Amino acid sequence: MRAFRAGFALELWIIRSNPDALMPLFTAPLFAIIFMAIVRQSGRPDLESDALMAPVLMTLLWVALQHAGTLMVGDRWQALLEPIIASPTSLASVLLGRIMSLMCFGLLSFFEVWAVGKLVFGVSIPFEHPVELFLTLVCTALAMAGLAVTFSALLVMTRNAYTFTNSTSFPLYLLGGVFVPVAILPDWIQPVSSILFVSWSSDLLRASVNEAPVESFWPRLGMVLLLGTASFAIGRVVLHYVLRRMRASGELAAA
Amino acid sequence: MEAVEVEEITRVFEPRRRSGTRVVALDEVSLTVPTGEIHGLLGPNGAGKTTLVKILSTVLLPTSGKARVLGHDVVDETEAVRPLIGIVFGGERGLYWRLSGRQNLEYWGALYKLSSREAKERAQQLLERVGMADKADERVEEYSRGMKQRLHLARGLMGDGKVLFLDEPTTGMDPLAAREFRALIGELRDEGRTILLATHDMVEAEMVCDRVTLIDRGKVIATESPRTLGQVLSRFQRIDVEGVPLVVLDEIRAIRGVASVTAVDGVGTRIEVDEEGATQLVLERLVSAGATSVRTSLPSLEEVYVQLIGERGMEI
Repeated sequence: MRAFRAGFALELWIIRSNPDALMPLFTAPLFAIIFMAIVRQSGRPDLESDALMAPVLMTLLWVALQHAGTLMVGDRWQALLEPIIASPTSLASVLLGRIMSLMCFGLLSFFEVWAVGKLVFGVSIPFEHPVELFLTLVCTALAMAGLAVTFSALLVMTRNAYTFTNSTSFPLYLLGGVFVPVAILPDWIQPVSSILFVSWSSDLLRASVNEAPVESFWPRLGMVLLLGTASFAIGRVVLHYVLRRMRASGELAAA
Repeated sequence: MEAVEVEEITRVFEPRRRSGTRVVALDEVSLTVPTGEIHGLLGPNGAGKTTLVKILSTVLLPTSGKARVLGHDVVDETEAVRPLIGIVFGGERGLYWRLSGRQNLEYWGALYKLSSREAKERAQQLLERVGMADKADERVEEYSRGMKQRLHLARGLMGDGKVLFLDEPTTGMDPLAAREFRALIGELRDEGRTILLATHDMVEAEMVCDRVTLIDRGKVIATESPRTLGQVLSRFQRIDVEGVPLVVLDEIRAIRGVASVTAVDGVGTRIEVDEEGATQLVLERLVSAGATSVRTSLPSLEEVYVQLIGERGMEI
């Protein structure tokens, strides 16, 4: 837990001194406007809440992937990775704390899109299920952080991690049902989507802002947490092997 | 128990590309550092000092051989080794530049499992100890190179390690700061810590180390006290003399053990010997030739270093 807190505090300090990391918060309102304009143009007011939730998920995913690609790579190039590895702390937990810190800022996008809906389009997100909405957002952020740890481990030795994470985000948006529900995607894609927590998160998020009762809320939230935890567990294992390999090859420090 | 035990450690860096070269950074290096000793690891760039420090710090795996820190294997027992060590790598990197010195230390304290209060207290103590208290809340990017180096040292002490690995820790420090730093190393030893100091600075090694291991091209050349190493090299003694006829110098050149006889500006003639007993023969001949201005000098560690490692100059 101390490692998690250390990572969380570190990232808060870094963001305070260098707010570049919050760039996705500038794009969330713009995406909300684009999606709202599309559903308005299509005459589908029933999809307005969905149009507002998509930028929230996109922001969280973007923040998670972008920093997954840069945190460890940056530490490596700054010769910070070696002393961190030499400390008696789990790097995976530090990373999880750092990314969760960023996720907390990412969650602010929810309030941004709510404001865009209200002020620009005169639409209110119906807060019919506030507890479900809150828990879904929090669990989604945790799961995203778990996924980011896996990506961090996989990308630490690459020279162009940013390009990779940038291009990975769009397949994840699609497979995760961020733009459109997974149910309307081709049948053969759906098994792949079902093992991504993002697809469960996006469905649950949409359900939480609709007036109809949220069906099977707890099992579905459990799936988000389970798949997110699995991502983190995989990330820990991958990180262990990647670090072992880097210690063997002498690549913990970039030249 | 020995603080550091290294047994025939070899580390080979295989080429990452076909055109690359295989590098043997350490070649069956063995070394023992007793608890409480300041041990110097002295050698030129590329000698293998940093490689050894990295292996002992658990961030690099050896190709073969064994190394233990306070009895724990650095490959198989990393979780036991890491809380016991503190590391200071040289250079300007290795810190979060956009954070303050204090924030850097508090973060490192958390990595060493200190509570928030403990980390704050220890950071303050160490900032005062390294003379950085008044700059503690400025961003690291505003620090001079020497200040960064002092912060590196404070960071290495945040975990209160029993064994400290210092890799070129005075790089970038001004002479006064380097002198204070050396005094601090002595204090750390008095607190019961063991220190392995990797340096290419002969003066530094001579001033602070109880023993010095000379290392070059991945091989240990010798491990002795700085004084003993100097005595070992007494056979490499140097004799400066003035006003000696050329014919006498030719005779001296022919004495067994005389390595060179050269004219040196401002000195006259410099005679270097590389065998025990040769100095006496040279001095006898000089006296019999009537030379009155004769000066012999004991080798400094620097001369030991140069003699043992040879005249590779900048070649790595």
